[in-house]
Amino acid sequence: MQPMNGAEAKARIVEYCKRRGALAVGVADLSALERIAPAGYRPSDLMPRVKSVISLGVGGQTQGTWQLPAKAMAYSGSTETRAYGVAYGCAFFIEKEFGAPSVYVPPDLDPEGGPRVPLQSLKLHAEVAGIGARSLAGDILLHPEFGFMYYASVFTELELPSDAPLAENPCPAPSCVNMYRSVGRTPCMKFCPAQCLNGEVDENGRQKVMRYDMAACAEFTQEYEAVPKILAEAVGAEARASGAEGLLDPDRKMLWYKVSAGSGGWFAQCFECMRVCPIATRAPQADPILRSEHGQAGSKQAG
Amino acid sequence: MARGLTREQLGITESMVAAFGPTIFRMSHNLQVRTGDPVRLLEFEEIERQREDMGLSDGEIAVRLGLTRGQVMFIRNLEESRRFKTGRQAYLLDLGGGRRFRHEKVTPLENRFRYSEDALRLRAALSFRPELVERYVAAGYWRDETLSGWIAQHATTRPDAPALSAGSETLGYRGLHEHSLRLAAGLERAGVRRGEAVAVQLPNTPEFVVTYLALCRLGAVTCPVHMPYRAADIESILSHSRAVAFVGLSGAAEWSPAAACLEMRGRLARLQTVIALGAPVAGAQSWQELAASAPLDEREVAMPVGSDPFVLLYTSGTTAAPKGVPHSYHTLLSNARLGAPEHRVTGKDLLLSAAPFTHLFGLYSLHIAWAAGAAAALLPAFTPAALAEAVQRLRPTGLWTAPAHVAALRAQGLLDNHDFSSLRLVIMSGSACPPDLVCWFADKLPACRVTQLWGMTETQGALYTRPGDAIEVASSSAGRPSPGTEVRVVDPAGNRCGPGVEGELQVCGPLLFPGFLDNPEANRATFTEDGWYRTGDLASQDSTANVRITGRTKDVINRGGVKFNPRDVEDLIDSHPKVLQSAIVPMPDPILGERACCFVTLRPGAATLELDELVAYLLDKKITKTKLPEKLVVLKEMPLTPTRKVIKGRLVVTS
Repeated sequence: MQPMNGAEAKARIVEYCKRRGALAVGVADLSALERIAPAGYRPSDLMPRVKSVISLGVGGQTQGTWQLPAKAMAYSGSTETRAYGVAYGCAFFIEKEFGAPSVYVPPDLDPEGGPRVPLQSLKLHAEVAGIGARSLAGDILLHPEFGFMYYASVFTELELPSDAPLAENPCPAPSCVNMYRSVGRTPCMKFCPAQCLNGEVDENGRQKVMRYDMAACAEFTQEYEAVPKILAEAVGAEARASGAEGLLDPDRKMLWYKVSAGSGGWFAQCFECMRVCPIATRAPQADPILRSEHGQAGSKQAG
Repeated sequence: MARGLTREQLGITESMVAAFGPTIFRMSHNLQVRTGDPVRLLEFEEIERQREDMGLSDGEIAVRLGLTRGQVMFIRNLEESRRFKTGRQAYLLDLGGGRRFRHEKVTPLENRFRYSEDALRLRAALSFRPELVERYVAAGYWRDETLSGWIAQHATTRPDAPALSAGSETLGYRGLHEHSLRLAAGLERAGVRRGEAVAVQLPNTPEFVVTYLALCRLGAVTCPVHMPYRAADIESILSHSRAVAFVGLSGAAEWSPAAACLEMRGRLARLQTVIALGAPVAGAQSWQELAASAPLDEREVAMPVGSDPFVLLYTSGTTAAPKGVPHSYHTLLSNARLGAPEHRVTGKDLLLSAAPFTHLFGLYSLHIAWAAGAAAALLPAFTPAALAEAVQRLRPTGLWTAPAHVAALRAQGLLDNHDFSSLRLVIMSGSACPPDLVCWFADKLPACRVTQLWGMTETQGALYTRPGDAIEVASSSAGRPSPGTEVRVVDPAGNRCGPGVEGELQVCGPLLFPGFLDNPEANRATFTEDGWYRTGDLASQDSTANVRITGRTKDVINRGGVKFNPRDVEDLIDSHPKVLQSAIVPMPDPILGERACCFVTLRPGAATLELDELVAYLLDKKITKTKLPEKLVVLKEMPLTPTRKVIKGRLVVTS
């Protein structure tokens, strides 16, 4: 095994990830993550000897995808699983190439944290690693080149130089600023079916305040309470009073989540905010088909 | 449990949940507010300052509130479960694919249309046997079709073809469709909703037709009320049908139906709206104003479907109190669609009904006309002279009529001085047709095929002779079953009778109503165990499947143990030169149990008729002596149903 400096190792890891389908790869400043994440959710809480946090993004929807009805949107990409696949391979790659223990960060809920609490914030890793910036659409990360991506993280004991967060936030796009100045709302705010988005844009066209009613959003998109609620409603009032509410206790709800996420039908995004987002749909390389053509053109030029 | 610990192990009480729940919900990730872009800019102090606004972890909340992390998780989870509504994903079904969310246009799920309890009661009455449904659908009898759908289809494919002819005014399908959409919008504004019953008492006018179609379009259930009905009859129907609205005339002869119904509202909780056609009636909505509404936005109100309730009719009650007969689009429209070619009705025909549209035979003329894309001509109210004048003026090709109508035409000699030459099809129905009347009519109209139809409120057109049948068949029988209809004639033990043997007529098929509304006793009495409908009519079927209706089971007279059906005798009496119409009913007798009593009305010019004279006439016709009437009552007017059937229940024998 050849000793290698951090920059060279990072270049090889980035190359590996991109070859496997990642659009953007960055390394987050670990100390920043440790300061920002709450206790129990810092990288070191999961992997005590972590030295670097690698974040990668995959994704993109074809232009056709955005024409689908909302009920089908969530199933058209399966991009998150592709992100997880790249990160999983990346962890093996680092261990094999550099001998440093690494782990693909499970993108799952924390069984100790209760419902709706992840083991780690993949979003925070990506933002600090400079491959996404928070949008007015409920803090969904957007990238100026790739638009809307799914993220995955790798923790490793290999020390890698970190990247800076994005210098500019692509949200709100100029057309959204114009709309906000005209009607007081950006497209994502206007077309959110749960009306869970709100916010303000300052005089410079930048985000001033982002307000997100996650409870309202979750009612639409994460109905893993539905099954136990249906069961609880199915039993009589007497049975409910004597403990059927236990179907909804935190531990059991975690199991419902697992069941629901597996079935897909109860756990999805509505995507309406992204459908109307010019960055998500029209960023220069948001469309995988255009991206592919761009890549082929680049290869030909290089050849 | 939380982290494996139970509520008791965590020390959670309901008062603790109530006290801390809202605060924990707010402090957690459920509501997030971010100012500026502090994480991207790594502004750590600002991140700290905004930490609570951005949403705290359970551990952070625990520290702030002085609870354990487990308690916070448990309470947060409970609060979320209690607050979060399930089923919200249903909104997604209305989104995307070019459909954009508009907050102002979205109706919350809980506020969306739901059938009322009364509407569900009506829907529940459409209780068909599953094996029959499967058979009717597989055979193509039942389709997803509605009357308003038919009109909309014609309005698209042949918009200017005539749909309705009323005197000087002819309305094309497009015009009729638009009129119905306008009134539908008005009715919807007036509170009429899908599945609700709406009583309609109007003559055979364009207003009736437009009302009928508008109610169909809304998915409401038309409940026709016969024109002769007065307040007590109407209240009985409104009460039983639980109608939410009444549509009627502002003023009829000597009374105001609309005003009478307004007065009933205090007693009928369901009756919300009275709609008056004609002069304004205080407290009632104006039909004319509702009909002048902008057309219904068809995207806003779902179209009914074939299985929906369509009309709720009340039986004409020749023997008993009215009973509610619900029909779906399936039963009535399949019967009409399959029947139109049997009657040889085409899109070029113009059909005139002498029967009121408040009766199913009258509605059948509309259904047949629109099944074929033909037009319906309107006769607002029957009188012999009005019918003759309408045929001469409107020149219909088809006439829906009852024997009593034809008898009246004959009695007044109206065929001799009016032009009936446009007719090529006559359908006579409503009561038993005297053969000589059919023959007389056929002789008068040599270019026209005179046919008979037998049906009931419960069946619409079940039997009919076809235009190609010989007059001997058309005059002596009610014909053969309509397509899909099955009939059988059975003896009192339930065994099928052989050809020519009299028994009770029973019916089954895609045309058959599912059962009386809210009347399990009547349903038990009128349906056999294998689902056939006991019509109560006596009949015999010949070897060619033609059925001859011979009377009513309840009309049978038991004279000292010798039972006989008085229908034959009535036919003979009807042929007496002085008799206009006759009806024989049993009169109690202490010795024989029952004897026959004959009620008659006389033809114009006939002054009197004595029992001896009638008996002599009948004996001359070789009638069995035991069938002779033993009492004669001459009436000025026979009690008739709106379709001119004798109401024998009102023929009371007095000493």
